[in-house]
Amino acid sequence: MKLKLKLKDKEYEVEISEKEEGVKVKVGEKEFIFEKEKKKEVSTPQLSFEKRSFSEKEIKAPIAGTVTEIFVQEGDVVKKGQKIILLSAMKMENEIISDSDGKIQKILVKKEQKVKEGEILVVLK
Amino acid sequence: MQIKKYQSASSTQELAKKEKNPKPWTIFWAKEQKVGYGRKKTAWFSPKGGLYFSIILPKSNIEDLQTLTVLAAFVTAKIIKEDFKLEPFIKLPNDVWVNGKKIAGILTENVIGKEIKLSVMGIGLNTNVEKFSKELKETATSLKIELKKTVDDEKILKKIVNGLKEQLKTISE
Repeated sequence: MKLKLKLKDKEYEVEISEKEEGVKVKVGEKEFIFEKEKKKEVSTPQLSFEKRSFSEKEIKAPIAGTVTEIFVQEGDVVKKGQKIILLSAMKMENEIISDSDGKIQKILVKKEQKVKEGEILVVLK
Repeated sequence: MQIKKYQSASSTQELAKKEKNPKPWTIFWAKEQKVGYGRKKTAWFSPKGGLYFSIILPKSNIEDLQTLTVLAAFVTAKIIKEDFKLEPFIKLPNDVWVNGKKIAGILTENVIGKEIKLSVMGIGLNTNVEKFSKELKETATSLKIELKKTVDDEKILKKIVNGLKEQLKTISE
């Protein structure tokens, strides 16, 4: 495509053509190559998974209730079947036991705390 | 129903929960308990003369177990009313009163891991307790005190357990 441009009383012959490497703009005898816009690399944000060990286990409240007793402390090593928490719920006393051997990493509830069904009580490692 | 009798036990609930091979409807019956307890580990005065037993319940869902706990008070109250012509009052969720005083208490304990591993129901009924301590006599009574006669513990126990079996059948249907 050729066109004439008049700038401040001076005329320029401008030729614009598309080349493989980009757009060539020829003004008079001077050539300018405008490289094609490189496709921007879209950097997908790294989905940041919380660093956690897959051997970590959560002991959740099987039903809503009140924590009446906590039998363990953080750091305690527990065996499968060991009593962890006593949950008074639905007019019954529920002994929550550990389903595996492990170490009490975190206790997330306090005595007399009301908990919802599915709420994490203790994290075991 | 298999009944395991003990002259004395720390607590029939503890015996039942320690059972290595817990078969449903096994009964642990003690003539006295040294450390009888109710909900929230409140002590249950368990001298000789009372009826103290724990039942291993069949595996059921938690809602049915809750219903059964309330129904156990109902079954016990029904026997007190029909067999002994007393006027029981069910103090929800799990006590039975007669003449304004506690006569029976029920406690269900579940052991829960991934699923419910074990459910044990304990029933304490003051059958032939002759007297209570100064602290308790204003709040507790027994069938013997109310009726002025001795009652048959074993007959009552079997009637309660059979009543519970019936109720469980109904609610789990």
